[in-house]
Amino acid sequence: MAAATTVRDNRTQTILWVDLSEGSTRLETLPEAWTAKYLGSRGVNARLLFDHVPAGTDPLGPDNVLFFGTGPLDGLPVGMGRISIACKSPRGTVAEGSCGGFFGPEMRRAGVDYIAIRGQADHPVYLYIQDSASGEVAELRDARHLWGLKTDETDAALRRELADPDVQFRYIGPAAENLVHASPIFGNLHNSGGRAGCGQVMGSKGLKAIAVRGTQGIRVADYDAFVDAYKVLRQRLDLATSRDMWTPVWSTYGAPVLARLFPDLGNLMTRNAQQMTWDYDKAMRISSEPYLDSYVTKAKACYCCPWPACQKLHKIDSGKYGGFKGGNYWAAQPVVFGSLIDNDDLELLLVLSGLCNQYGLDVFHVGYTLAWAMECFEHGLLTTTDADGLELRFGCTDKDGLVDLIPKIARREGFGGLLALGCAEAAKVVGQGSERFCLAVKGQELEGIPQRNLYMVALGIAVSEVGPDHTRWYPPYPCNPSLISPEELAELGIDLDLRLAFQGRNPEQKGKLLRWFTISRAIVESLPSCVFLVRDTLGLDLRPWWKLFRAATGFDLDYREFVAAGERLMNLDRAFNVREGYRRADDRPPVRMATEDVPGFGYPRLAPERFEPMLDEYYEANGWSVTTSIPTRRKLAELGLDDVAAEFAALGIEAEP
Amino acid sequence: MKQLELRYVAHVTTLTHCLLESHQTTAPSIHALVDELDSRYPGFRDMFVNPRTETLNLNAMIYYAAPGEVPLSVIDLDHPIGDGGTVTFW
Repeated sequence: MAAATTVRDNRTQTILWVDLSEGSTRLETLPEAWTAKYLGSRGVNARLLFDHVPAGTDPLGPDNVLFFGTGPLDGLPVGMGRISIACKSPRGTVAEGSCGGFFGPEMRRAGVDYIAIRGQADHPVYLYIQDSASGEVAELRDARHLWGLKTDETDAALRRELADPDVQFRYIGPAAENLVHASPIFGNLHNSGGRAGCGQVMGSKGLKAIAVRGTQGIRVADYDAFVDAYKVLRQRLDLATSRDMWTPVWSTYGAPVLARLFPDLGNLMTRNAQQMTWDYDKAMRISSEPYLDSYVTKAKACYCCPWPACQKLHKIDSGKYGGFKGGNYWAAQPVVFGSLIDNDDLELLLVLSGLCNQYGLDVFHVGYTLAWAMECFEHGLLTTTDADGLELRFGCTDKDGLVDLIPKIARREGFGGLLALGCAEAAKVVGQGSERFCLAVKGQELEGIPQRNLYMVALGIAVSEVGPDHTRWYPPYPCNPSLISPEELAELGIDLDLRLAFQGRNPEQKGKLLRWFTISRAIVESLPSCVFLVRDTLGLDLRPWWKLFRAATGFDLDYREFVAAGERLMNLDRAFNVREGYRRADDRPPVRMATEDVPGFGYPRLAPERFEPMLDEYYEANGWSVTTSIPTRRKLAELGLDDVAAEFAALGIEAEP
Repeated sequence: MKQLELRYVAHVTTLTHCLLESHQTTAPSIHALVDELDSRYPGFRDMFVNPRTETLNLNAMIYYAAPGEVPLSVIDLDHPIGDGGTVTFW
C-alpha cells in the first residue's frame, strides 16, 4: 500500500456528482453542519435522496439518483467498512441498504465520502475514482467488454485491467443489467447491499461498476478520547468479556445455526410458511456445523471487524457440484433455499445461493418467489408446461432444473422471466388467488424472520419504508432484557416497559420498542458501523457510539442531539414515501400472516385486533398521524425539518399540526 | 432416572464433538445438569455459568422444552428438568 499523501479530518464530507448523460463529474463539499445534523452515510443519504429525487421521478429513468455514502467513522477501526446505498426503488419507495467490506474506507482515502450518480450512459461504463496530485478524481471508462459478465467475472476482469491489488469495487451482475426485480449491488465477490432494487437502478443507468483507489489518511479529532472509547467497544466484542449472548455463536459459527433453534419454536418458515416447523434432522443437515466441517476454506471479516464469521468462503470439493466456490452462508440461505422450499441438501443450497451471487440476484427475491411458484404448482395454478418442464415441487426433486433456473431468472428467459418480476408482480400475472401465496410487503419479499410469534418483527416489517429489512430494527430475537435496567432507560430518556416489550406475542409496547430500535440502528448505520455490534445493551444505550463520534469528528454534540439525528433520518424516509403516496394502509403484514394461524403451535394470525393497536402505538410514539402515518408539523419542526413540512404543503399533502 | 435429549449448538460442539445425544440423569435442575456435563466435557460449566454469581453467563443461552412443549429460554439455572425433556445449549 502506498504511503498516505494527505490526511483528512472527519468534520466535513465531500460528494462526487456524476452525470452519466453528460459524461461529467464534479467534487463538492457538503455543509459542515450536516455532519452534526445527519451524521453521515445513511443519514446524509436520506437527506440527499429527499432533496434530489422529487415525487413522481421515474425510478428507472435518468432523473433518479443513486447514492453511495460513507461517513465519519468509515475508514476508522469501528466503521467495519459499512456503506449506505440509496435511491428511489423501482417499486416507488425509498430504496436503501447497507453493506460491508472494504469499499467505504477506500472511498474515504480517495477523498470522496459520497457518490451521487444521475443520468444514463449511452453505452455501458464504469466509474474509476482515484485521488491524484493533479486533482483529477474521477473518470468514466468504457465498460462494453464487462457488460454481461457475472459478478465474479467482473471482479476478475477489473482486477486484471487496473492491475492494482488495493483497488476496491462495487458492481452489478447480469440480473441488474436486465432490470430484474430487487437486484442488489455486489462487491468483494459475496457482499451485497441495496436489495430494494439499487442494482436495478444502477443497471438502468448503464453503470456496470465503480472502482476506487485512495492514498489519503484519516485523522480523528481527539486521539486519546477515541482510543478510550474504542477500548470499551472492543471489550464488548471480545469472546471473553462480551455480554452479548450471540457473540460466541456469531463470531465462530454464524447465523445458519438458527435453523436448529427455530423449528421447535414455530419460527422456521417451511414450504412457503404453510408450516412453521421442520424435521430436526433436516435442519441439522443445513446448519453451520456441517458447513464448517466440510466446506469452509477461509474466514473473512469486513474492514477491521474482529469477528471472523460473517464472510466465510467455501468450496465443494467433489461430487456433482465439485469445484463450486462461494461465500457468505448466513441466516438467509438456510431459510430461502432450505426450509422454505423443503431442501435439506446443503450442497444444492450452496450452489443455488452461490449462483444468485454470481448472477447478481437477491436471494430473498429468488427464494420467496420460487416458494410462491411451488405453492402455485401444488394448487394447479402453474404447470410443468408453464415452468419449461420443471417439476416445481417442495422437496426439490428436480435439482438440476432448479440450478438451471437461476441464470434464466437473471436473463429473463422463459419461465425465469415470470420469476424475475418478484412474487408480487408475478402473482398479478398468474392471478387466480395466487396473491395470498406471495410473502411480501410493499412489493418486496420477506427475509426469513417469523412474525406471528414475534410481534415486533411483524410490526417492523410492515412499517419499514424500504420493505422488509431486518437491519432497521435488529435484533429480532428476544435478547436478555436484563442487559439494561429501568433506571438506565430512564437516564437515557427512553419510556419503555421492557418486561412487556419482550413478550413476543403481546402487542403492548411493541410500537415503542420498535421506535427505539429503529432510531438506534439508524444512528449506527449513519456513523456508519454494523448493527450486529449493538446487542449487548440492546442498542438502546448508544453512549459508546456517541463518544466515538465526538472523538472522531470534534463535534461537541450532546447525547440527545445525537439521538435526534436517528429520528431525523426516520422522518426523512417516511416523508419520502408519503410524498410518493404511501400511507397507513400500506403498512401491512403479508396476507398469509394476517389471515392464517400458525399450524401446530396455536399462534394466532395477525388479525386487526392484534396488529392495529401496535401500529397506533408506533405512530403515536413517533409523533406521526395515527390516521395517515404522515409526520406531524410539530414533529418535523422539532427535528429542524420545516422544509419537509413546507414541501408537504406545496404538494397539497395535509400534515396534522 | 430421567431421559433427556441434549442438543449442542455451534461453539458448544467444540467441547462435546457431537450435535446431540441421549442422556440419563438424576439432576433436578439445569444447574445440576450443567455440573454433571462438566465432568464429561471439561470447560462446559465455564461456558454457561458465571463463577462469581452462579448465574447463567450473559453471553450464553440454554433452552428447555418439556415433552410436547415449545422450548423456553432459561434465565434461572434452578429451572427444573423432567423426564423426556429436551435441553439445547448455545
